[in-house]
Amino acid sequence: MRNNGCFILLGTLALIFVASSLAEGDGGHITVAFGAEPTQVDPTRTSAGVDGYFIGLFYEQLLGTTPELERVNWLAEAWQVTQQGAKTIISVSIRRGVKFHNGDELTAHDFRYAYQRQSDPASRQAGRLRYVDDVEVLDDYHFNMILSQPDASLISLNLDLFAIPRKYYQAVGDDGVQAHPIGTGPWKFVSRKPREELVVERFDDYWNQDLKPKAKRLTIKIIPEDTTRVAAFKTGAVDWIDAVPPAQLEEFKSTPGVVVASRPAPNNLYIAMIAIDPTNPLANVKVRLAIAHAVDFDAIIEYILYGQGIRTAQLAPGTIGYEASLKPYPYDPDKARQLLAAAGYKRGINVPCYNLTTPREPYIKEMGEAMFAYLGVVGIRCRIVQLEYGAWINLVRVNARPVMDGIVSTMWGHGLPGDPTDAWSGHVHTSGDGWGTYSYHSDPELDDMIKQLRTTMDLKRQEELIRAVARVKHERVAGGIPTYRPLITFAWSDRIEFKPWPGAFWRAMREIGLRE
Amino acid sequence: MRQYIYKRLWQGAIAIVGALFIVFIAQRLSGDPVALLLPMDATEEDFAAMRVELGLDRPFVVQFGLFFSDAVRGDFGDSYLWNQPAMSLLLDRLPATLELALAGLVFAILLAVPLGVLSAAYRGGWIDNTAKLFAMLGQAMPGFWVGLLLIVVIAVKLQWLPAYGRGTLAHLILPAIALGWYPVAAMTRTLRSSMLDILESDYIRMERAVGIPERLIIWRYALRNAAVPLVTMIGVYFANMLGGAFVIEVVFAWPGVGRTVVEAVFARDFPVVQAGVVLASVVFVVVNLIVDLSYGFIDPRIRHD
Repeated sequence: MRNNGCFILLGTLALIFVASSLAEGDGGHITVAFGAEPTQVDPTRTSAGVDGYFIGLFYEQLLGTTPELERVNWLAEAWQVTQQGAKTIISVSIRRGVKFHNGDELTAHDFRYAYQRQSDPASRQAGRLRYVDDVEVLDDYHFNMILSQPDASLISLNLDLFAIPRKYYQAVGDDGVQAHPIGTGPWKFVSRKPREELVVERFDDYWNQDLKPKAKRLTIKIIPEDTTRVAAFKTGAVDWIDAVPPAQLEEFKSTPGVVVASRPAPNNLYIAMIAIDPTNPLANVKVRLAIAHAVDFDAIIEYILYGQGIRTAQLAPGTIGYEASLKPYPYDPDKARQLLAAAGYKRGINVPCYNLTTPREPYIKEMGEAMFAYLGVVGIRCRIVQLEYGAWINLVRVNARPVMDGIVSTMWGHGLPGDPTDAWSGHVHTSGDGWGTYSYHSDPELDDMIKQLRTTMDLKRQEELIRAVARVKHERVAGGIPTYRPLITFAWSDRIEFKPWPGAFWRAMREIGLRE
Repeated sequence: MRQYIYKRLWQGAIAIVGALFIVFIAQRLSGDPVALLLPMDATEEDFAAMRVELGLDRPFVVQFGLFFSDAVRGDFGDSYLWNQPAMSLLLDRLPATLELALAGLVFAILLAVPLGVLSAAYRGGWIDNTAKLFAMLGQAMPGFWVGLLLIVVIAVKLQWLPAYGRGTLAHLILPAIALGWYPVAAMTRTLRSSMLDILESDYIRMERAVGIPERLIIWRYALRNAAVPLVTMIGVYFANMLGGAFVIEVVFAWPGVGRTVVEAVFARDFPVVQAGVVLASVVFVVVNLIVDLSYGFIDPRIRHD
């Protein structure tokens, strides 16, 4: 009898515990693992692409991108571009009633403050706002961005400004923001141990109740080593991982209880060739075309990248201005040899080949080595120079010394869904006037087209111009040979529901929760 | 003795300044951090403004002079990436590295001492052969590979211990084994060879002749004398573990100093690298000094006058 009483008591306690866990969980606590860690949690001080991983949890912009890669108004209710004399004006109306995590209401003054911080050289992103002269607040919900000239790249940057709480920033200063970031995003900061984890909690007063995360709490572990991250997932220590190693993709797909999704990365990879030195064989379009035909990129994607790449002619499908009729240069080593001979290099050429090695994209080093091996078969003999990312990014700038006087494996982010305007301004337009910092090419006609593209804020016209530039670029093998757009793969346990959102490189963690 | 300590500290300070100077030059030869800090669409004007902000536009000698005068006051500048004081960034991570290094060292000593002593005492026997095999395997298998094997077998297949992270004692076991793996092999070989020399010396023969039990001879008299080279190795390995546990820290996602410094090298985060070099140099100098001083306690014949 006494034993029965104990069992009843224990059972009641267990039920209370389960009930309280469910109530407390309210969507549950999910642990995920990222392979890389941002150094910044302040969107006005970002220094690397990976910084977006955390910023996307806390902060938002005027425009946003849906999982279907459609650009939509986000914190902006409406916006329009007008020309007033020499000035271009972007007039913005923002949503009313949007709250920061500390309860302050979002106003136009916060965007003006964001502009002041982002245009400060210390922000490391001031160049993106170089044509914005000022942000003029009209009232709490309306402001104008005043541009000295039209700048199409602002649109692909979601009008660039971040919603940051002015009063909070001014009260706590830079250190305070780093210690406790506050934005309007779906997740609130709880705690952070650098190199270990970030803990966030659902923001229940989030303005977009339809997109409020289901999970109550999210712990993001930082596990850079692939094998360890995979082991943490297999042992159940984490429910979700990013950057599944391509070599293990098939294993993941065939594991019961595991869901896998691959999405295009924002990076576009290509081969750059120095074409501004007329004495260099690479200045000859026939030689560049020979290189384009000499490499079997499809085979490389299949066998080195395990299929985790989208072959591109100029742009990946889904990118703004994608031209489906433009096909990649076919693999044709005989044609490559003929083109070399027609260019006057029947015996082939010797050329330095600079290979980028970085963990930022899987197997990029091996990809470069395979490309250079293919070139050797048709008589383009590479002297391979391996460069880690820090050395590469220094040397790849056109004004850097020593000059990379050969073939360079290269990458440039186009964003999601992808807009090449900014990248082409940087690596196709002739160097000068603040553009062409990484350009090994000079073509006055392309320069004019890119300038026109850069200063066109009509979205339809912009698409037409992108198509036109892509066609000329393809025909003249100008500004490099595009190779592929990598795919990023995520895996998660089927006990959770997750839908990848494109912000923060598909790590925005908007739709995530325990499966009911 | 005091004079000896002063002299060693003075020499250590010179070594630290020398190391710092070499690193200062090497880093600046390896590339400009500005290209890594700015987005790819940054203009030449952005580059110039950032160089001014970081003080990288000044002549090299001026940069070193300013850095040195700040450094002697304990200010190593702010990390370019983390926007925090570089030294405090590392000191925040030092407890994790100390914890891992000490655990690795304890594992290495606990395994190497009995293996080294027993293999010498039973020379040619199965214990000796096993110890030799173990030592060979230890030296042939790099730590990162041992770490990955441990994760796959112990964490994933057997699910006995966590695969990554820091927190409980259970989290410490696998990284400590991976870190201590190589030193076990080296210490075992060194101790074995040192013990073999000692066990054949006259005073050991004399002890055997007067009937002192073999157990006492080995563990009390022989081991004490054979331990001098082992103590040197312990000091060197401990200093190496503090500064060079990077690979193990990455494999086990351990939030330590080594991982932070190596990532700073790749990011050209000069202040963090410089602070890391000073920290590692100070640790090396202090640990070596302690090791040298400890000789006197192990072997009274060694005195630092």
